Amino acid sequence: MTRMYHKLPVDAYTSKDWFDREQRLIFSRSWRYAGLVEDVPEPGHYVSVQAGLNNIFIVMGRDFRLRAFHNICRHRGTQLIRAVGKTQKALTCPYHDWTYDLEGNLVSVPDEAREYPEGIDKSCLGLKPAAVDVWRGMLFVHPDPNPPSLAAFLGDVDPFLGPHKPEELVEFDEARRTYEIKANWKIVVENYIDVYHLSHLHSNTLHMYDHAKAEFGWKGPHYHFWEPPSEAYGKSLESNLPTPRVIPEPHRGAWVPMLFPGLGLGASEDSWNVFVITPLAPDLTRIENRTKLANVSSWEYSKQSWSSAGFWKSFGGPKYSGDDAAGEDDPMASGDFTTEDIYACEQQQKSLSSPYLEIGPASTGESPITKHQKAILDFMVAQEERAS
Amino acid sequence: MARQFYPLVVSDVEPIISGRATSVSFAVPEYLRETFRWLAGQHLTVRVILNGEEHRRCYTISNPPEEALRITVKRVAGGLVSNHFADHLSAGDTLEIMPPFGGFTLMPGATARRTHYFFGAGSGITPLYAMVCSLLVNEPYSVAHLVLGNAREKEIIFRNELDALQAAYPDRLTVRHTLSSQSMWSGFSPWRRGRVDEAAIQAAIAQTPPVAQDAQYWICGPGGMNADVARALANMDVPKDRIHMESFGGERAADDGVTGVAATAQVRLDGKTTEVAVGADQTVLEAVLAAGLSPSFSCQSGVCGACRAKLTSGDVHMRAHMALEDKEVLSGEILTCQSVATSKHLKVNFPE
Repeated sequence: MTRMYHKLPVDAYTSKDWFDREQRLIFSRSWRYAGLVEDVPEPGHYVSVQAGLNNIFIVMGRDFRLRAFHNICRHRGTQLIRAVGKTQKALTCPYHDWTYDLEGNLVSVPDEAREYPEGIDKSCLGLKPAAVDVWRGMLFVHPDPNPPSLAAFLGDVDPFLGPHKPEELVEFDEARRTYEIKANWKIVVENYIDVYHLSHLHSNTLHMYDHAKAEFGWKGPHYHFWEPPSEAYGKSLESNLPTPRVIPEPHRGAWVPMLFPGLGLGASEDSWNVFVITPLAPDLTRIENRTKLANVSSWEYSKQSWSSAGFWKSFGGPKYSGDDAAGEDDPMASGDFTTEDIYACEQQQKSLSSPYLEIGPASTGESPITKHQKAILDFMVAQEERAS
Repeated sequence: MARQFYPLVVSDVEPIISGRATSVSFAVPEYLRETFRWLAGQHLTVRVILNGEEHRRCYTISNPPEEALRITVKRVAGGLVSNHFADHLSAGDTLEIMPPFGGFTLMPGATARRTHYFFGAGSGITPLYAMVCSLLVNEPYSVAHLVLGNAREKEIIFRNELDALQAAYPDRLTVRHTLSSQSMWSGFSPWRRGRVDEAAIQAAIAQTPPVAQDAQYWICGPGGMNADVARALANMDVPKDRIHMESFGGERAADDGVTGVAATAQVRLDGKTTEVAVGADQTVLEAVLAAGLSPSFSCQSGVCGACRAKLTSGDVHMRAHMALEDKEVLSGEILTCQSVATSKHLKVNFPE
């Protein structure tokens, strides 16, 4: 008998087969986060991104419009573009120097007359186009050059994402980090959208917000979440904010949605963050974090830091301390909510292969978990139907 | 649908920009509502008889489809029809109108997400204004950037309407004026001085680069402006299929000196085939009209597209084909008013 984890078989979290199906039917068939708009700031700049099975690069043309192409030379399939960079007018494959212009047209084949005495029709050998668009300062790519618009995909959930304008904020480079979690990507998503755990795992790290007053729900496959500041934090919110506001008063609270598939946002009165979840293997997931803050002078930052110092000094701390902690390196003694989450995800993944695993009933605060499992099933069914 | 003229009652005549132009609105009776449905950017043909002579003019509809059917006509020095409208037309009069048509159209989409750049000058604002209004209301995820050229501030058509739109949609619409002959002492300071030229276009796009990446470019201006703007966009690598334009100002396309050959044409119109002799100095349309047939036509300058037909055999030379897309030309579409025969036998099918 198939062992179930709510709506999905436990297998969905451990097997290569499920991983491959998700790569094919979810991550290769949907709009995928590809960075922030400032990653491609000027004509000629480009970035490449792995989106499921597809490697797609984005380049800005001289008309300031972005183009997206599959990163595959039409000659022998070599990946053309490495990571990020800048070109003037052309993209050359390093293998045989086939060269494309920024519209994807093949413009030059070296030694053409000698190597192709019968001739070669360059007009049929342009790069394969993909789609690119921008939403709330983020780049998104889709492998299909004519997909349903981003407005069709994100339009309904957009009003629940907070009043933030990420494109007007500046990145806080020190907060940018990439790390791996030894757990299935769905475990990471479920942890992100589990409302129940906030008051428990993070009892001493996220209690500046009032989890009991959280408002959450779904728009299509996307999850939205908002909660107000806790009484202690909200009493003197303006002086307690650690950094200057990124949204105008009287907006307050934390917006922590999870856009499908695996793009978490975390936005509050004073910051805006992306939490990009990328499956690497059935039990390995990469997280990319980026943070944006208010575009104001360092003097404003200093003022805010002084005014809030008193509050933060006596606020928060580790979940376990003293004899409860397993030592200095115990994640539960870190006082850092990300460290707590990573620990919880990895501890859960470890049990998934045990024959004695039996998942208990989902609580009210865990209803987003079962909804997300259903969103995955629905999306894969729709894609399979489309393909057949 | 047979293309024919319908009498429509003028519901309003409004002189604008101090009488330099006239907005004329029409009452469309219920039974003609479908026939006179239009898309933002389309135009209609007016037929007026002045001193016993028939005149046809093609005017853009200057309102989005939700508003009243309205045209806005700039006074042309010595222009018979434009001056007649300005000086003698009043509400309650009846005009002969052919239903809206034209391929320079913006079809709004509820979930479309586009950046629209509009480049216009003078009365070229009329279709662009209809398009801007239409998409602000019906394409909520898209934005519009309008760059509008005029000689002087007082000649800016729909200036107040554009100001109001900008105030109502501050995040979705920018309007930038360029003025070519404005006095330095004027209180109005435009975005730039000069024309809507390459430098202005580059500056405009660099200032407001596309956020929604499905960018579309709409051009409507007089004379050589369209070609200049299209060239400037091409120099920035804007793909051709994203550029849409309509020539404006009513100039006749210049005769390019290519002469035709005498030919016979099998013309299919309204279900009948007629053999028509086409003289070497005649356009296909002229020959068809001379043979007593009545195809639809309007501007006779290759702009409006009313006289289009499909050439299924033979060759013609088109003096101008502004109203056709390149791929339509490749598939054999022709504008009969601009076509002279270059082979002795033609087969021409007018649309049913």
